[in-house]
Amino acid sequence: MNIVWTCVTVIALCALTVVRPQGVLTVCLDSCAQAVTTAIGLCGIYCLWLGVFEVADRCKLVEGLANCMHGLNKLLYGRVSQAAERYISLNFASNLLGVGNAATPSAIAAIGETEHTDTLSRSGAMLFVVNATSIQLLPTTVMGLRSSAGSANPADILLPNLLSTALTSVVGVLLVFCAYGRAK
Amino acid sequence: MSYIVPLLIVAVLVTGLFRRVNVYDSFVLGARKSVGLSVTVLPYLAAIFIMVNALHESGLDVYVTKLLAPPFQLLGIPSEVVRLVLLRPFSGSGSLAILADVYKQYGPDSYVGRCASVIMGSSETVFYVASVYFAGTKVRRTGWAIPIALFCNLLGAVAACLLCKVC
Repeated sequence: MNIVWTCVTVIALCALTVVRPQGVLTVCLDSCAQAVTTAIGLCGIYCLWLGVFEVADRCKLVEGLANCMHGLNKLLYGRVSQAAERYISLNFASNLLGVGNAATPSAIAAIGETEHTDTLSRSGAMLFVVNATSIQLLPTTVMGLRSSAGSANPADILLPNLLSTALTSVVGVLLVFCAYGRAK
Repeated sequence: MSYIVPLLIVAVLVTGLFRRVNVYDSFVLGARKSVGLSVTVLPYLAAIFIMVNALHESGLDVYVTKLLAPPFQLLGIPSEVVRLVLLRPFSGSGSLAILADVYKQYGPDSYVGRCASVIMGSSETVFYVASVYFAGTKVRRTGWAIPIALFCNLLGAVAACLLCKVC
């Protein structure tokens, strides 16, 4: 991340200085302002979902979900703490339902449970790849945009979308197995 | 389908009521964590946005797209959506804007429009997600995680263009 970010940013800023020097500061400041608005928006989303998750947790609903998914979790992530397993199960359920906004806070919580050193563990890498390639049953955002663009059949992409996300998920998980070996 | 999420939220709250949980207190307790979380994420978002916006404003993204269009065409990705494939790992809002552009220019039901739709649905903003996920941890070395996710994004794009030809 360090190398990628620094190189790309330096090259881009240099190019921008050549093309339009008076734009450099504006771009940087606008980006930071955009980060603040995004963070406030995210805060609202996290507020709702973390609140609902806490209630679900107190009702032992999350524990039930984690029990159902224990076999799959063990295969993918190996031995992780009970708290991590609960967050991972919540994360998986949110991803499958296409509630991408709910998947982020649970993934962050799970990563917080599994990572204690400066090098990403196998479980953390698996969680990241599962989220980055998640199987999507219902791509709500894209379908909404299609129908507002005047598509005759916005749901026309459901099948190729499902197949393609399933393919990337399987390949992603297999690649994690190749890179890190089986879960311990 | 649009009933799933509202029903889920109501079901959780009602279960809480039946199991004699302090629903209100629990909700507030959980929701409070969101403030710290979004503050942790903020500086990482700023860094990502500076990089993406500088790339876009300097016109480098258009140049890189032109440069990379031929190899992507070899993989079966039409040149009209190469920009979407390239920007997707960095910016969700940016790639949505490109998607809207593709719809306007080629129509949402054209081959290119459908390709772009499936590419959007089957890929993820890898760098953005990485910065948000690892923001609150000590993790600095992410090993294979990002390369694998990027490869899967590309694979998803190739598969999307193939699948849109078949079904």
